[in-house]
Amino acid sequence: MQTIIRLEHISKVYGSGNTEVWALHDVSLTVNAGEYCAIMGPSGSGKSTAMNIIGCLDRPTEGSYYLDGMDVARLGDNELAQIRNRKIGFVFQQFHLLPQLSAIENVMLPMIYAGIPHKERQERAAEALTRVGLANRLNNRPNQLSGGQQQRVAIARAIVNRPVLLLADEPTGALDSHTTQEVLDIFRELNASGITVVMVTHEPEVARQTKRIVWFRDGQVIHDHLAPTNLGQMTLVPS
Amino acid sequence: MNLGESLNMAVKTLTANKLRSALTMLGIIIGNASVITMVGVGQGAQRYASEQFESLGPNVLFIIPGSEEARNRTIDLPRTLTLEDAQAIASQVPTVTGVAPQLQTQQRIVYRNRNTNALVLGTTPEFTVVRDFAVERGRFFSALDVQRANRVVALGSDLAKSLFGSQDPLGQEIRIKNISFQVIGVMEPKGAFLGNNQDDVAYIPITTMSSRITGNTSPYGTEVSFISVMARDEASINAAQFQIRNLLRLRHKVTDVDDFAVRSQKDALEIVGNVTNALTLMLAAIAGISLFVGGIGIMNIMLVSVRERTQEIGLRKAIGASQQDILVQFMIEAVILAAIGGIVGTAIGIGGVTLVSAVTPLKAGVSPTAVALAVCVSGGIGLFFGVVPARQAAKLDPIVALRSA
Repeated sequence: MQTIIRLEHISKVYGSGNTEVWALHDVSLTVNAGEYCAIMGPSGSGKSTAMNIIGCLDRPTEGSYYLDGMDVARLGDNELAQIRNRKIGFVFQQFHLLPQLSAIENVMLPMIYAGIPHKERQERAAEALTRVGLANRLNNRPNQLSGGQQQRVAIARAIVNRPVLLLADEPTGALDSHTTQEVLDIFRELNASGITVVMVTHEPEVARQTKRIVWFRDGQVIHDHLAPTNLGQMTLVPS
Repeated sequence: MNLGESLNMAVKTLTANKLRSALTMLGIIIGNASVITMVGVGQGAQRYASEQFESLGPNVLFIIPGSEEARNRTIDLPRTLTLEDAQAIASQVPTVTGVAPQLQTQQRIVYRNRNTNALVLGTTPEFTVVRDFAVERGRFFSALDVQRANRVVALGSDLAKSLFGSQDPLGQEIRIKNISFQVIGVMEPKGAFLGNNQDDVAYIPITTMSSRITGNTSPYGTEVSFISVMARDEASINAAQFQIRNLLRLRHKVTDVDDFAVRSQKDALEIVGNVTNALTLMLAAIAGISLFVGGIGIMNIMLVSVRERTQEIGLRKAIGASQQDILVQFMIEAVILAAIGGIVGTAIGIGGVTLVSAVTPLKAGVSPTAVALAVCVSGGIGLFFGVVPARQAAKLDPIVALRSA
């Protein structure tokens, strides 16, 4: 099976000398193509740092990171920007849509940086928005959309460059339970169509709907297991 | 990302914040408009002064008293230039065809119950030739009038009107400094020379002037304010200048520094040029400062904009924008603000110049150099003042930027 994420003995240290903080300590983790994986842990556990490194927004202090078979741990800022553009789709808690752009223009944004011609951009953006059920909202501005709809626009933006990895940081954190389910359904469908999904969340009922859960605590992976089918079982696990 | 995309994006951002964009441009608009107007006015002033001197004709020379140093200090000039000097020039300098010594003071002029203050100018009959100034009615005074120091006067057209109205002044008696003069002529209208109305002047024989009006003669002879000389033709100007200088040095027994100066129209134009160039430069500098302040305004707003759009920058970086992409985006926004401001300011400046030339005698013109300079400078200002905010934006850490609330 093809490996999408391979973290090998990753450490991340902030500061130096006495103020040194180890956000990650010798973390190794592998995620294969087609997985749907949740990262959980209390705040300060290192899950956000891990997320930033996986998303190529940050570089590890030590260790190697292979994304889609490519060593990306030591790349420069511009190479990382290109990797983020081509290989990773981001979904954030706060959606981060540009308010002055319409839904379709927001979705077209990553393709502008990829240098895709205008006509193709429009077609692919419309296609992506259709995929998340917003075919009739192409020209709405973000402030004319509900929270759930905005997050779906953000998901369309994340998948439009056909990334190998969809990385979601608390994607349901700003949503109510009904729209949370809508968004999770989209993630499940995308995963079913072959996209690898990694999601950071602190909500057990969200993590429960993934296929695999990785627990972080004090900068280390303390549990890594398949998602249980019911919530009661799961809450017992990390102690 | 290509330039068209960046441009499109910048326009979208700027139009999303119309009022702010417009206010930001205002600084550049005002700066640009003032540069163009000021330079236009300065050059208009130069053209005006130049035309005045050119109207004298190219073969006129002026002899003015006083050393260079004394003139620059604007102290009371020693009156060493005399009527005898003028006569010597007329008789001994072969390249000269007309000499008009001039002695002038401001005097009260009375006709019956009307009175006015006007310039009284004592000269010789050659004055009409040298200054190309003709009598409209009656006659100008003759060499005989000068020789006998007759109390006759030729009035400028405006002065005649203000003293006599519609009445015929010829043959009437007027009083200058309480001495009665007979009006023998009225001059044709001549207009102003360097802001002095030549039609509000009483022209009298120079001998009458020195003996009756000013009354003082220097130890050297009958003093004059200055002497206008007409050279035979334009080609002999330099020769005439040289000969007059030598003659006067001899007469004045000059050993060291000349106590007079011989100026040609060309010299005068040069002086006017220097003065008005300095004026234009000063006006442009003041206007340039406002352009600079406008640039600071752009930088200020762009810095605020970077701070405000931190999340947008973080997002753009997360989805693949390189540092260069962000840099270019913010630079283009700054340059667009400056360039549009520059164009609008230029349009207003052209309007201002047109207005000035419509309501003042200054023939202010739009200088293409000033326009090109102002537009380039404002574009440059956009670049210059856009760099700092744009670099700040480009260097933002996407993680920090995304998490900033």
